[in-house]
Amino acid sequence: MIRQHSHMPFSMLVKLAWRNLWRHRRRTIITLSSIAIGFGLAVVSIGIGDGSHNSMIRNAIKLGEGHLAIQVPGYLEAPANYKYLADGRSLQTKLEALHIDGTVEARISLQVLSSSANNSVGAGLEGLNTVSDPRVAMLRPKMIAGHWLESGDHRGVLIGDGMARKLKLKVGGKMVLMAGTQGGDSQAQLGRVRGIFDSHVDELDDFLVLSDIDFARRFLTGEGADAQQLPVTRFSIFLNDPDSMAHWKGVIQSAMAGEGVAVLDWHEMMPQLVQFIVIDDAGNYVFLTLILIMVVFGILNTVLMSVLERTREFGLLRALGLSRYHLLLLVLCESVLLSVLAVVIGWLVGGGAHWWISTHGIDFSAMMGGEMSIAGTFMDPVIYTELSQGRVIQLTVIVFAVTLASGIYPALKAARVAPVAALRT
Amino acid sequence: MSLLTLQGIGKSYRQGEVDVQALTGINLVLEEGEFAALVGPSGSGKTTLLNIIGGLDAPSSGHVHLNSTDFTELSETALSDFRLFQLGFIFQAYNLVPVLSALENVELIMVLQGRPLHERRERAEHYLTLVGLKELMNRRPSALSGGQQQRVAVARALAAGPRLVLADEPTANLDSENAAALLDIMHRLSHEEKTTFIFSTHDPRVMDRAERIITLHDGSIIGDKRHQSHELQG
Repeated sequence: MIRQHSHMPFSMLVKLAWRNLWRHRRRTIITLSSIAIGFGLAVVSIGIGDGSHNSMIRNAIKLGEGHLAIQVPGYLEAPANYKYLADGRSLQTKLEALHIDGTVEARISLQVLSSSANNSVGAGLEGLNTVSDPRVAMLRPKMIAGHWLESGDHRGVLIGDGMARKLKLKVGGKMVLMAGTQGGDSQAQLGRVRGIFDSHVDELDDFLVLSDIDFARRFLTGEGADAQQLPVTRFSIFLNDPDSMAHWKGVIQSAMAGEGVAVLDWHEMMPQLVQFIVIDDAGNYVFLTLILIMVVFGILNTVLMSVLERTREFGLLRALGLSRYHLLLLVLCESVLLSVLAVVIGWLVGGGAHWWISTHGIDFSAMMGGEMSIAGTFMDPVIYTELSQGRVIQLTVIVFAVTLASGIYPALKAARVAPVAALRT
Repeated sequence: MSLLTLQGIGKSYRQGEVDVQALTGINLVLEEGEFAALVGPSGSGKTTLLNIIGGLDAPSSGHVHLNSTDFTELSETALSDFRLFQLGFIFQAYNLVPVLSALENVELIMVLQGRPLHERRERAEHYLTLVGLKELMNRRPSALSGGQQQRVAVARALAAGPRLVLADEPTANLDSENAAALLDIMHRLSHEEKTTFIFSTHDPRVMDRAERIITLHDGSIIGDKRHQSHELQG
């Protein structure tokens, strides 16, 4: 039984499209190569961008306040020494009960005036667990003089080389840390410099004073806190899986409801870093757009040339009974095949380059002169590309959609061929 | 029994500032199984009339009936399907899809018709055998001579089982030997398959074989004669 409507099996469509694609082998190879190289460059470029951003974020999280921070509401907008969590002990117990997949670090951040016999500068005193806090892992290797704080050292402090220069302090030197109280009085503690670090981040080297948490807690008791309740400025949470941040934020917010605390993620804690990444990403997207424009013209050129060359053939097919719709599908199918090939080859090129760079890294230290300080954190001089699953899908979909879209005009042009006019040419 | 009926066909088009009357008041009836030739000097309207009969061009006036269907009334999609199922075409040149083999070219229309693989393969091989190209059926058009390509086009036109085959100067680019062989094949198949053929030609070799000669001049039919075609070769 013969059907009275034209019928184009998918296998025939693909067969015709595939063979048409290779009619001009050289032209197709050149087009595919240009798209694949462009796509590969985009993969590497985005991978380097993401790699450097992630490196900065990881460093910022370790140096800074973790993935999540629990502190007094309003502290971020207007930090003050009297804004502390008075009952750190019970909050710590509640947090431990949540079995967070990561570590919870109690910290005390204070604004102080640090003075030596020679000078005085404003400083940020950070009291922390001198053994387990992730800042230890970040800053301990950066020591350039003296040694790291030993556990239970209730008098020792560490300072950056910038502050050491300003205060003309050396290891073993004494410094007085002074802070005002909410009541208008002042309180002071004497610290002894155990070591000097050079983090290459000016904000840290010029401003940070590190101490054991019990040393910093003396200032909170001066504010009226009960030392027995282990008061802290904040709890910093370092998650093993950064992608679980939103989940844990929700869990902690629920558990801490009614405690009068704010749960903030690193985006909220470091808006300047977020802004830097957004701006830098915009630059990457401009580059990606240029690549996509190249892809569009590559496909458009190849498919349109191929359509214009085949006007007579399309006329013949239309005369024989191929519908406009099937002709449109045929030319679109050619674009799809070109897109699929370009994306596959592009991923082979770009994925190969990404694999190599993600394994071996690119050393930018000659260009950067060591770590580069950006937005309160630093970028490692050796950059490794990173591509998340989302990025892979995003890049593939964008390139595929763009290549497909660039085949629409030639396909419409082919479908508009009138058989009699085409056969006359 | 009449297969094709043309009633008052006229065709005019504009060429620059001038209105050109390509066809005027064409009335014609073609019977089933006829082997007819449209003849006349260049510009007489042969190809235009053939295009209108083939549904490739629309007349400015008049109607074309194939059996009971007036296909001047059909939508473009329906007309496309009508051509697919009812008509066969053999053009002067560039008849075949270059990326398909001879066998695939012959199968193409049957694929579009939705015929099952075994049926279309069987028919394609049968007609390629009839036109003497079974051995070359896996070759692409670029590996076939002009005469062989035209024979593939004949096989393709007939394998799809059309009611009417339209051939526009099918021998124009062939040497005498190939032209004669092609005409022999078409003539024989038209009798064996009871398929109606109509040619546009000014090739005397085709006129010799035609059983009916319709003469056009300045867009009008000025002669319509039936005669016995010459003996087939071989």
